[in-house]
Formats: sequence, C-alpha cells, structure tokens
Amino acid sequence: MLAKLALRNVRRSAKDYLVYFFTMTVVVALMFAFNSLIFSKEIRDSFQGVEIMEVMLGLATFFIVLIIAWLINYMMRFILEKRSREFGIYLLLGMEKRQIAKLYMRESVLLGAGAFLAGLVFGVLVQQILMAILYSMVLSDYSINIEFDRRCFIMTASCYAGCYLLALFRCKGKLRRMNIHSFMNAARQNEEIKESHEELKQWLFPISILFLVLFGVWLFYGKEWGSHTMLLFLVGLVLVIYLFYMGLSAWIVIYVRRGGNAIYKAQTLFLLRQFASKIKTMRFTMGTLTALFVLAFLGCSVATMFNFYENRMLPDKMPFDIHIHSAYVEEDFADQLSIIENNVPVKEAYAYHIYENQTTQINVWLYTHLQVFGDMYKKADGSPDLQALLEERNLAYCSYDTYMSLTDYNHLRGMLGLDAIALSNEEYAIHIKDRVFRETGDFSDQLVIETSDRILRFAGYHTEPFSQDGHNGGDYVIVVPDAVTAKMRPFYSELAVQLDGKTPEHLRKLLDDAVNIDADTMLGGTECVGSESILVWGSDNLVRDNLLLEMKCMLSSVIFPLTYIGLVFLCVALTVLSVQQLSDSAKYKFRYQVLRQIGMGTREIAGLILRQLYVFYLCPALFAAVISGIIIGFVGGKFNLYAGTTTPVVVYFGISLVLFLGVYSVYFVVTYVGFLRNVESDK
Amino acid sequence: MKSYINVCDVEKYYGSAAGMTKAVDRVSFQVSEGEFVGVMGASGSGKTTLLNMLATIDSVTAGHIYYQETDITELKPDQLAKFRKENLGFVFQEYNLLDTLTIGENIVLAMTLQNKSKKEIQKGSEEMMRLLGIWEIRNQFPYQVSGGQKQRCACARALINHPKLLLADEPTGALDSKAAETLLETFQSLNASKRATIFMVTHDAFSASYCSRILFLKDGRIFHELIRGQKGRREFLNAILDVLSATGGVKDAR
Repeated sequence: MLAKLALRNVRRSAKDYLVYFFTMTVVVALMFAFNSLIFSKEIRDSFQGVEIMEVMLGLATFFIVLIIAWLINYMMRFILEKRSREFGIYLLLGMEKRQIAKLYMRESVLLGAGAFLAGLVFGVLVQQILMAILYSMVLSDYSINIEFDRRCFIMTASCYAGCYLLALFRCKGKLRRMNIHSFMNAARQNEEIKESHEELKQWLFPISILFLVLFGVWLFYGKEWGSHTMLLFLVGLVLVIYLFYMGLSAWIVIYVRRGGNAIYKAQTLFLLRQFASKIKTMRFTMGTLTALFVLAFLGCSVATMFNFYENRMLPDKMPFDIHIHSAYVEEDFADQLSIIENNVPVKEAYAYHIYENQTTQINVWLYTHLQVFGDMYKKADGSPDLQALLEERNLAYCSYDTYMSLTDYNHLRGMLGLDAIALSNEEYAIHIKDRVFRETGDFSDQLVIETSDRILRFAGYHTEPFSQDGHNGGDYVIVVPDAVTAKMRPFYSELAVQLDGKTPEHLRKLLDDAVNIDADTMLGGTECVGSESILVWGSDNLVRDNLLLEMKCMLSSVIFPLTYIGLVFLCVALTVLSVQQLSDSAKYKFRYQVLRQIGMGTREIAGLILRQLYVFYLCPALFAAVISGIIIGFVGGKFNLYAGTTTPVVVYFGISLVLFLGVYSVYFVVTYVGFLRNVESDK
Repeated sequence: MKSYINVCDVEKYYGSAAGMTKAVDRVSFQVSEGEFVGVMGASGSGKTTLLNMLATIDSVTAGHIYYQETDITELKPDQLAKFRKENLGFVFQEYNLLDTLTIGENIVLAMTLQNKSKKEIQKGSEEMMRLLGIWEIRNQFPYQVSGGQKQRCACARALINHPKLLLADEPTGALDSKAAETLLETFQSLNASKRATIFMVTHDAFSASYCSRILFLKDGRIFHELIRGQKGRREFLNAILDVLSATGGVKDAR
C-alpha cells in the first residue's frame, strides 16, 4: 500500500516540481559527461597532462556535490512544508511517523532515481558535445564515439547518491522533530507578514550599495592590499549579499507606507508589496542564490578568459616549429638536428648565440617597473633594491641583459616571414613582447646601451611574436650591430628550426632524452622565462605542436571544470527561484482571482505575472551581475595585463552574461507558462 | 422605476451530454437602480451560479443579462474585464483581501487599477474608510484585524469606484452575529444614502431581512418573490421565515 501511495505521490510531485526534476536530470547529465572526461580511454591516450584535468574536475565535483545536496535538501524541506498538511492527516489517520518518514524518503528516492535514469540518457548526448568541444579546442578531429565506462557510471552514481544521502540525513531529523500540530501549521507559517523595525532595516539597502561602490573603488584604486583588508572586504561582501534583501524589502515597505507616487500607478502597489513580502520571507535563500549566481558568473568568465588566452595568445607563443636552448656556448646542436632530421624533414635550421655584456640595466628596470613584480625589488624611495635582486633570484630574467646580433636577428625574422631591419653601427633596437611593451611604453630614454668605445642610439621597438620565454631572451632582446656583439661574450646557444612536415608526437621527448650537458662549460643564469604569470613554461626544447597540445590540455583542465561549476550553480539557483514561484502560484492563486474580481482582464493579469516574475528573477541576477561585474572587471583587467590578451574585459563578462541569459530564459519561460497555467486553472 | 438590470431567460448547464446538471433554469427578473435585492435558497439551488453570471465571472449557457443597454453575455473577455472594473463591486464570504497589502492599500489598489489620480485616490479612500469605520486600522494587514473589519474593508473596496451594482455572496457567512449586524446595517445605509444597488446571495433569513426584495430560488428556478414594501424589518423577517418553513428550510432565525 505504502509503495503504491509513494508511486502515486511521485507522479504528482514530478508534475508539480517538473523544474526540479528537469534540473536534477541536467545535473546528472553534466556529472556523467564531465566524469566521462576523467575516464575516457581516448582522452587518456591522446591528451597529455590529463591528470591535471582529473584533479580539477575532482575538485569541481566536490563543490558540486555540496551544492546539489543543498538543493535536494532545500527541495525536500520545501516539498515537506507544502505537503505538511497531508502528512498531518496521515498522522491523524493513525499512520506512524516512522511510516510517513519512510514514505516520504521512498518518494524522494524514486523521484531522484527517475531523474538519474533520464540524466544518464541525456548525459550520453552531453558527453558527445563535450568531447567535440574538447577536441575542437585542441585542434584534433573528433568522430562520434559513445563511451559508457563502468567506472564513470559508478562515480556519477556515487556522487549523486552522496548528494541524496547528505540531504536525506538532514531532512530526516526535521521530520522526526515535527508533530501533528506543526505539520498542520507548517504551510501557513510564512503567510503572515510581520513588519518590525522597517525604518531601521531600510538603511541596509543604501549601505549595501555604498559598500559595493567602496568595494569597487578599493579593488580598482586601492593600494593597500593587506590580508586583513582583503578578509574584511570578503566578509563584508558576504554580509552585504545577505543583508541587501532585508534592506531592499524594508526600503520598499517604507516607500509604500510613505505613499510614494509610484504606488498610485496601476498595479505597481501590488507588484511592490508582492515583491517586498517575497524577498522578506526568502531573504536568506535569496542571498544564497545571489552567491551562487556570482560564482556561476565568475566561473564562466574566468573560463572565457582562459579560452581567449588559448585562442589568441597561445599560437603566438611559439613562432618557430622547434626552438632549442643550450647553456653550453660551444653547442653545435648536431645531435639534436640529427634526431629531428631522422623524424621529420627540416625546412631550415639556424643556430646562433645570445650575448651578454655584464650589464643588468633592462633586467633591473623591468624588475622595478612591471606591475607583476610589485614592490618586491624596490626600496622605500622607489630605487632598485639590488640586494633583494641578488638574494632572491626570480627566474624571470637571466643574470645579464640579453643581446643578439643584427645578422642573427634578421635571419630569424626571415624564417618567420618578417622583413629585415636595418641598423647603423651606432644604433640598437629592442625586440620586446607586445604585452610587456603595452605596459612599459617607451622606456629607451632610461637606458644607456654602450660598447667599449661608444654609446648606441635607440632605433626602435619590434613586438612581433619572437619566442621570448627564455629563448630569444626573457621578454626582450637587445639587437645590436654585429660589430658590437663581436666584442661581447656569447651567453647561451639557440637553435631555431622550421619543419617541412607534421611534427611527430614524441619529438620533444626524444629531444629531452638526448640532452647531454657538460656542466663545466655552462654559464649560470641563462635560464629565464620572462614575466609570464598565467602560463609559464621554461623548456629547453620547445617543440611547438607537442607543447601546444600540452598547454591546451592544461588550459582545458581549467576551462572545463569552471564552466561545469558555473552551469550547475546557475541551474541550481534558477531551480530554486522557479520552484518558489510555481508553488506560490498555486498557493496564492486567490490573489489573482481577487484581481480578476476587481476588474483585471486575463491579458492584464498575464502581463502582471510577467512583470512580477521579471522583478523576482532579475533582482538576484542583477545584484549578482553587479557584484561579479566589479570582480570580473578587476580580474579581467589583471588577466589582460599579465596574459597579454587585448580582449576588452566587458567581452569576458558579456559572454558569461549571454550564457546566463540563455539558461535563464529556459527557466523563465517554463516558470511563466507554469505560473499562468496554475493561476488560470479552475478560475 | 426604470429597469436597471434585466435578466432574461438565463440558463446555466454544467457537465457533459451524459450527465447534465441544470444549475439555473430559465430565470428572468429585473433589478431597479438603488434596489437592495436578496436571493435565497438552499445549497445547490443555483444562487451563487446566478450571482457569478451577473458578476461576469461565469458565462450563461443561454439567455441574456442586460445592464441598462449593455448585454454582458455578448461581451468578449477583455471587454468583460473592463465592464467588471467599471461597473461591479464584490463582497465575498471569504473577504478575498490581498494578504500582502494593508487594509488601506487593498482599497487604494482598486482605485489605482482605474488609473485615478493620487489626490483622488487619497481623498476617496480616506472618505470610504472613515464611512465604514476602518480608518484606524488602515495600516494593519488583513491577518491582524477581525473578520468584521476585513469584510468592511472588502465592502469599502467594492464600493470605492461607485459601481453600478454591488454583488455580495454570503457576506455574513464567516462573521459573528454582531459583526454581521454591523455589516448589514452598513449595506442598508449605503443603499439608502449612496443609492448603491446591491444584489446579495444568502441562505440566512436574518441577513435577507435587510433587503428590499427577495427572490427565492429552488432547483435553479425562482419559485417565489417577497417585497418588503412598508413592512418593518422584524415583520419582513417573519414573512421570509414563513416562506422558508413552507418549503421546509427554516434556519438561523435570529
């Protein structure tokens, strides 16, 4: 009998909480699809660094399990409250509380199991989409290949079951504590609108806005970023997210009480009161939803940043097919060349030296002027702290400034299809990373490049991609006439190679294995990576196609989990909003009947509901958009600065917003249609 | 007296061809302007169905209902809503106040939907609340006031836009006797002083005794009509009770 009752109740609940069921299905589908990335044999075989992806996805799964457990718990308590009268009647009829708990748990598990099965089917589809995206991101072809890994299934099932166990555990306690009276009254609990101290509470609204302004100013213009200030602002932000709704509700109530002009316009009074009472009773949930929206925005935006980095910056990172560094100045690269030639036809190979002149002036200037180093190497008066530079050697720059001869430089430019440059014997040029140059601007007036007999004149900057992560210098190389380098000491050796065929997959490994260095002939301090701080690679043997794949895998392992978290959080938050409204539409149907009686037409009521939903849906979304907009504005700015991407920050945010609005629209339309149906039924 | 509302051969059927229920069966009557008409009948006699059709919230199966020149059975849904907004006021047994609005705001909302000016709304709502004795509780929420006060608020809301007809469905059903009496006296005085036309459905003889005319409904048909004329309220009540006892339905004679 109980089983029959449970099944019938589930059928009814599934209809009432279709949105919840839909979200759980989507969550299972996402879980399954993302987990399959961890277990896919194909990915394991063709992607290097898949371990990073595993760790990141594992981390994402941890947060997702927690948040899904919260959603299930929230929904179970919510349904429990809505159906408490029914449970009270079961108790009155003589059913034991234990039986009711069992019935309710059985129902929840049945609903969950239904969503799980539907999610698995949907998950196979999502898995294909994800695979296709992942493969297109790393420039490989993907042919549809449905994988149903047993371990992936077990992991998805355990995560899902974990969510349920966490939620059931908490809900059971609540059920145990309730008696017939509380069951009968639970549904009515938040019907009474208690207004107290609204005059005081209304100030929370302007205070919250003021805090956000201060937060923005502090982020963008603040200099003192002590951990205490940071902590204070973070705690403040969390508080503001929660207190904002209390303030907003009180502010509206006071406005209505004061008889503000707007309340005398058509249905505004109804809308304002409806909204104020809803956010008042739901203020804590609204705060949590805002936090979820913020995290979703942040996740998606950061994923977008890395995606832009991958698409725009990565290809320029390695302009030569192969670039080999050797600290050994006598290196002739014969071994390496023979390995390469044995594996792939070589179009052109060019070996050359990078020189040094015992000077460190550009290094010091960059260490003390680039934002990435902050005040690390500056004294209080702003002058370079040479002691600090000596003591804590940052691997950004080599131990001396790096020089290159004009002949070598023009030859390398030729290999890259760039025009040669001309320098007279009294001139020098600087080839610098575009990203660094955009930050420094022209600083040649602060440099004195001299040889033993004369001071050279500055003849311009060049910023094309030029392999400056430790090969052609770190960040920069000073190009001087051959006569000048002839008097300098070779610092280290380089071999640049352009190939005439497809790079073999394991070429880099072959080269790495072949390195045989005689330590005595090496000069120290030739290892440098420049001021990179987003993705740093210090590798002697750069084999572009091998490394690109590795880098893209690494970036994917950031992009995918962040998108995953963003999507799940977004769906969870929208489900709560949607279910709240749909349940209200049934519970407070009489409100719309009253409006009909006092003369509102069906179309007017539909318009009113639309506006009511807009306000209710938009409020936490807009609030979250403002908070995350500030944070993304700041983070995006820094990202562009450090990564060298030139994408306007608003694009990162805009893409997340579009994604957000897409998912949002689906939930919004479903809620609106359901709301209208509930209000219209038995009118 | 000229005919204000004219109900002609109205019928209302429920259900399918297999199991048809006639809720209202060829009912015709007229209501004059400023009349206080009561409809009595046992449960299931069709009185609420009749009221709902007059209220335009239910449609007729056959027949016509004229409000002066307008045949409301011919109006489209949007026209009906407009008609309702401009011509009708409602008072129900369950008060039907909006729980998120205060007593005062419930009345204000009815006026804002008519797009009246702020000044007009403030003046009109204050006058009406003072008239019905709910001015002091205007800032309270419905759950904070008594049933009688809620019903008076519903009355104020129904009358605030000066409707052509006030429709009341068992307005005293949920009130204690004192509150019921106050409300009915309010109805009577509104009818006398403001010339409000009232159409009240009730199964309670005491409530009905405040009306000027009573239609008795049975099985969807009008089977009797009582006119108060010059009779006192007590006398009229006795006349009503006589009709009810003749049909076997005496109840609640206070």
